[in-house]
Amino acid sequence: MAIRSKIFCETYHEDIKLLNTYWSKAWMGLFIIGLFILPFLGDTYMVYMVNLCCIATVAAVGLNLLTGFTGQISLGHAAFLAIGAYTGTILSEGLNMPFWVTVPAGGLVAAAAGILVGIPCLRLKGLYLAMATMSFGVMVEYVLITLKGVTGGERGMYMPEVDVFGMVLNTDESIYYFLLVITAIMIVAAKNIVRTRVGRAFVAVRDRDIAAEVMGVNLTLYKVMAFALSSFYAGVAGVMYAYVMGHIHPEHFTMLHSVEYLAMIIVGGLGSILGSIFGAIFIVVIPEFIKILAQTIEEAIPAMAGKYDDEWNIAAFGLLIMLFLIFEPGGLNSIWQRLKIGFKNWPFTY
Amino acid sequence: MSGKAKFIKTLLMTGLLVLLTACLAMAGGRGVTDKEITLGMVLVKTGPVAALGIPQGDGMIDYMNYINEKGGINGRQIKVIWEDDGFQAPKSVAAVKKLVARDNVLTIMTTGGTNQTIANMKNISRYKIANIPNAMALEFFEPLHPYIFALGALYEWQYQVIVDYINDDLKMKDKRIGVVYTKKEYGKKGLDAIKKRAAKYNIPVVAELVLPTGAVDASSQVLALQQAGANIVITCDVLPPIISFLKTAEKYNYWPQVFGFNWATDDLLVKACGPAAKNYIGAGFVGGWADDSPGIKLVREIAAKYDRKPKLTSLYIGGVGVSMLFAEAIKRAGKNLTPDTLKAALETLRDYDTGGIFPLVTYTTKSHAPAKKVKLYKADVEKKCLVPLTDWRSPKDM
Repeated sequence: MAIRSKIFCETYHEDIKLLNTYWSKAWMGLFIIGLFILPFLGDTYMVYMVNLCCIATVAAVGLNLLTGFTGQISLGHAAFLAIGAYTGTILSEGLNMPFWVTVPAGGLVAAAAGILVGIPCLRLKGLYLAMATMSFGVMVEYVLITLKGVTGGERGMYMPEVDVFGMVLNTDESIYYFLLVITAIMIVAAKNIVRTRVGRAFVAVRDRDIAAEVMGVNLTLYKVMAFALSSFYAGVAGVMYAYVMGHIHPEHFTMLHSVEYLAMIIVGGLGSILGSIFGAIFIVVIPEFIKILAQTIEEAIPAMAGKYDDEWNIAAFGLLIMLFLIFEPGGLNSIWQRLKIGFKNWPFTY
Repeated sequence: MSGKAKFIKTLLMTGLLVLLTACLAMAGGRGVTDKEITLGMVLVKTGPVAALGIPQGDGMIDYMNYINEKGGINGRQIKVIWEDDGFQAPKSVAAVKKLVARDNVLTIMTTGGTNQTIANMKNISRYKIANIPNAMALEFFEPLHPYIFALGALYEWQYQVIVDYINDDLKMKDKRIGVVYTKKEYGKKGLDAIKKRAAKYNIPVVAELVLPTGAVDASSQVLALQQAGANIVITCDVLPPIISFLKTAEKYNYWPQVFGFNWATDDLLVKACGPAAKNYIGAGFVGGWADDSPGIKLVREIAAKYDRKPKLTSLYIGGVGVSMLFAEAIKRAGKNLTPDTLKAALETLRDYDTGGIFPLVTYTTKSHAPAKKVKLYKADVEKKCLVPLTDWRSPKDM
């Protein structure tokens, strides 16, 4: 009897399948069930944190498409979130539009802005591109504060609660399912983008743009497309953010937030969708873990009582990121892949 | 609607009902036992503006510890949980949810600055969080928000008092006002209020100059003001840029009468500027550290007791004052302490005297508006502190 120890793909179609074994399908099924029962297992605070993770995941996946897959650095990602958030809020608050209009519209307007930024940035690379995108972020912040009549200026804007076909989602638990569905759609779409012609063209542009052009990859088209797609994701994340927070303000979308999204994809793993998810969860949740750990130490060791300071949290967080960059530049995704291979080959080492 | 869709909808609605019931049940004896009352507060502790949150938070905690040492309130000790929001709205919302859902606090004494409190408006109503924000904004009390109790004169009122003082009390000929402001909410509101008030008194506003909050030098602003002939400068910016402005003005030997609002009225300004602050007058809605009032004497006693040497004294004083108001409300609420009875107790404060920490405090069921009063303080370079120049005063009706 032949023992099948590896996955053998006989066609290209099989090779690019998202879930290619029964086990991966079963695990995914269990994971989805777990996600659906999650609000019943934790309190409101935990559900709110998970909601933030969903938003961060969509934004980070978008940035990874641009930076991780196409090699175009962006320090203006938060500005695209702002464009999406404000578009969604204006449509919902001012024109009473439903979520199925506001969510894609937020993404589309942000994508249009992404194209506007992408075209003049075609000739820019590295630090120059970082500076250009950063300037765009500053410009958006200025416009949001100045255009008082439309954006509410320094007062910001209120987003009405989501109305899903007559059901008003006004608790963290109810909005969670709404976010979960959008996040799942966005992740599956991103997985599809990167496993097909467009994704491979992105990677070719990142690895050696001149060689890519020689092979027939239209640099202008794919670079602008990467900007548009990334901004679309950011715009959708922006609308999700507006629905969760119920209030948006220019200070919610500063350069610091753009750096945070960049940190998510670096820690998670550049050029990986799964890495974006890991990174987003890590950046949102880890400060909470550090705090719980510090409090546990305080309770366990009487000499440490009252010693904990929130500044420690920031220092520990910074240290963790530094250690990641030094010892695991591939990010969390790299650790996950190694673990997976280890389990797959067990008891053999390779 | 298909049978399947109907089933899913029923399932979701049942889930929501269960959650709602749980929330309502939780609202009953929240944060209160026979021996202890748990309170929360959300204030910045880390990041670029940590210096603003820490003294206020220390003041709030120290006063509650002081009360605990005196036997607590109605036989109960007070426990305060301080959550840091890094001055960011999403973190502030998370902190509020944690305090209510996980720490089960009776209330959250403050939910932080303007943006943080606005972002939390729905949560404040949903979880019945009676709180005093660490900021001034009209929408906190107009229209009435049942659980927000505003404290501190609005920026507009403060600048109206300043311009009233310039017109009525300042002995100076040919008054010419120059305004230095930042393009933030308080800067723009201050500029508008000054221009409107000065126009009523026919005092010309000869210059309007932007001074960014992060400015370390104000040469261009000082030279422009000199050129415009401004002999009075009203600043609408926080402490660090005003310190830069005063030091730069000293460098150019420019000595106008300078005014500032509450976020720039602190002893630290005199200590940091030295002689450069000699012409500075600031408006504030808390008493000064050097005041002789019983409330401020108590603040100094508490600070000494807990070995605090606050750099921003005005914020520490404000923190003690906020805790004092909550302690009084908890006392008035009696044994049956719930979020509702606490709110009702706060609404019974009528001309409540904090001994000079704040002007008299009044809240009713129909109004949670702050007192319109501020005090003007003058820099005393010798003593390195601010000394009172006026008593509490309101903007004149015009």
